Amino acid sequence: MTRPAAAPKRAAAGGFVAACLLPALFLFALFMIWPTINVFRMSLYQWSGFSPVMRFVGLDNFTKLLDDDQFIRAFQNTVALLVVVTVVTMGMGLLLAAIMTRAKLRGRNLYRFVLYIPNVLSVVVIAAIFSAIYDQQNGLLNGALRLFSAEGLQRVWLGDQKIVLWSVATAMVWQSLGYYMVLYMSSMSSIPEELYEASALDGASAGRQFFTITLPLIWQNLRTSLTFFIMSAVNLSFVLVRAMTGGGPDGSSEVLLSYMYKQAYTNSSYGYGMAIGVVIFAFSFLVSLLVSRATKREPLQF
Amino acid sequence: MLRRTLVLASAAVTALGLLAGCGGGSDAGENESTLKVAALEGGYGRDMYTQVIDAYKAKHPGLDVQLQISKSIEDEISPNMKAGKFPDVVVLGQGRKAALTETLIKDKALEDLSGVRDQVQANLTDGITGNLNTDPYGDGKTYLMPMYYAPTGLFYNQGLFTKNGWKTPATWDEMFALGDTAKAKGIPLFTYPTAGYLDSYFFALLADIGGEQFYNDVMTYKQGVWQTPQARQALDLTTKLLSYAAPTTVGYANEQDFTKNQQSILDDKALFMPNGTWIVGEMKDAPRAKGFQWALTPLPAVTASGKRYLTTSVESVWIPSGAADKDAAKDFVAFLYSDEAAKIFAKSSAIQPIKGIAASLTGENAKFYKLYEDPDVAALVGGFASTAPVEGVDIKATLFDTANSIISKDKTEDQWQSALNDASEKLRQAGK
Repeated sequence: MTRPAAAPKRAAAGGFVAACLLPALFLFALFMIWPTINVFRMSLYQWSGFSPVMRFVGLDNFTKLLDDDQFIRAFQNTVALLVVVTVVTMGMGLLLAAIMTRAKLRGRNLYRFVLYIPNVLSVVVIAAIFSAIYDQQNGLLNGALRLFSAEGLQRVWLGDQKIVLWSVATAMVWQSLGYYMVLYMSSMSSIPEELYEASALDGASAGRQFFTITLPLIWQNLRTSLTFFIMSAVNLSFVLVRAMTGGGPDGSSEVLLSYMYKQAYTNSSYGYGMAIGVVIFAFSFLVSLLVSRATKREPLQF
Repeated sequence: MLRRTLVLASAAVTALGLLAGCGGGSDAGENESTLKVAALEGGYGRDMYTQVIDAYKAKHPGLDVQLQISKSIEDEISPNMKAGKFPDVVVLGQGRKAALTETLIKDKALEDLSGVRDQVQANLTDGITGNLNTDPYGDGKTYLMPMYYAPTGLFYNQGLFTKNGWKTPATWDEMFALGDTAKAKGIPLFTYPTAGYLDSYFFALLADIGGEQFYNDVMTYKQGVWQTPQARQALDLTTKLLSYAAPTTVGYANEQDFTKNQQSILDDKALFMPNGTWIVGEMKDAPRAKGFQWALTPLPAVTASGKRYLTTSVESVWIPSGAADKDAAKDFVAFLYSDEAAKIFAKSSAIQPIKGIAASLTGENAKFYKLYEDPDVAALVGGFASTAPVEGVDIKATLFDTANSIISKDKTEDQWQSALNDASEKLRQAGK
């Protein structure tokens, strides 16, 4: 092969790559970019969803949001869920993954399997399982408390406005814990064993090893999964709330997406719902950005 | 090499063309004489619709009637409706969670059916049309034809009452006295499946207290209506009633668990719950206390000789303005009120508001519909008037769902009243 032939070949390859990418790009634009633009556009209109009449109202929908107590409550609930569920899931996921990979537990395959199972279940099934667990009379939780004569701790888990959100949070953690644990396990197991051996010779404890070897070396993984998790938690909270509590009692477990759904589809305020959608978009974008900025470190390699 | 690229590129273009081809033009084979009927599969089942359609087809050879029926019919027809493809006839009432009918009313996207109404008027029960349920804009034009009607009220276990020698309370004083008696036996007076079931309760209560005029004022958001003494009395009575509610009520008042609240009536763990006649079929396989027997009573009267209203749920049939063949659709709707169709519906206990049909009922249904014969009891139809949509305001949620917070003491009666006043005022301004 002579040198001058290389240039046209590269151009041809570029054309081929473009042709291959085109269908995917087209679909991406049609099903992702176009609807997103539409959400932004619709948030400036007053529209019921069916009528041929759409009225342009500018930013009215957004100013109304500020006065809407239900919206503010839903926002607070979403933020609370995001913070608590993220911290607990990530923390426990890391801890469990470290235990599973480092401490050679007997039967750890079984544990991994058991912890991973919830992730395969449909959310509606999870809602049904948890409504059986939380049942105030014959539920697993209150039943167990009764068994240990701790009746004082029994609660109406899904009926008490102060608790219901945490009941939902628990279900969310249960659902996603296994997935992130397996994710971290795989990245932890790729850390070379000799690093641990060397540090053990230097007298590092298991805790020290975790913070100075494991954590820095899987940091890039952790960052990616964190952003990913925040996105999926917003969605998961909607599905769970809808199937488990319907936002109740009296709106106390409403989250942003479930409130958006209510406004857009059952209160005939499609434009208003889309305005909530824009807020959700901006919010998740902002949070992901903040998280990714805050967790930025020099990548380490082994 | 270049030729190869060209071939590949053209292959990609062909693939794209195929994709685009999927999008349009799938309904080329439809012919003109097709009538599309969409119906909610409610507690009455689906057989009656196929039978009625067969009967109609027998009379109109050459016409194809397609039936689309589902328990969540809104989800199936509304995507097509948003794309401009409407069914011709829809059997679907108000008060569903998806609120499709309400949305179309708010949009003025229904066909005027006054002509059909006049055509079948002779068959219809008096007073079943001409209310906000059938004439949503209150202008004397009927947009929704009443399809089946059923009384709703307080359901209880007749067996439990007979065993204890209790009488169904005729006034609120008797009601609360019974509440105390029952409490001594460890049975709470009241429960509800979800707070949304309080609709029939509140509508009747408002009319019991202030008469139909006051009820209509509330339903049409008259200025300051929630600050009147009558409104306060309604909230007072309800707050007191809610203080007698079964402790399990709120915890089960969600989509997942509401049948457990209904079960507490079957288990003699609560005396009354607001519900509709479908409850008999809905809970037919559930275990129950010995000697259990369903019974229905209107709300207790406010004063000793006061009139008592029975909120009547009415399913509706309507034609969307976007329907392709409105005349054929209207003819079909009129057929639904013929003797032939009514007989088929009645066999599935779907009772239409047609004269003389109640006399042919048997069993529990006969007992429920007999309540209308009491001279002190009147049927109450309707619901909140439709306005242009108001963002963030849902007066039904404010009126009903707050009951959960009243029981759990997260909100006070005063907060309830002022929230109602706010919501009502915003809707009034939108309705102007």
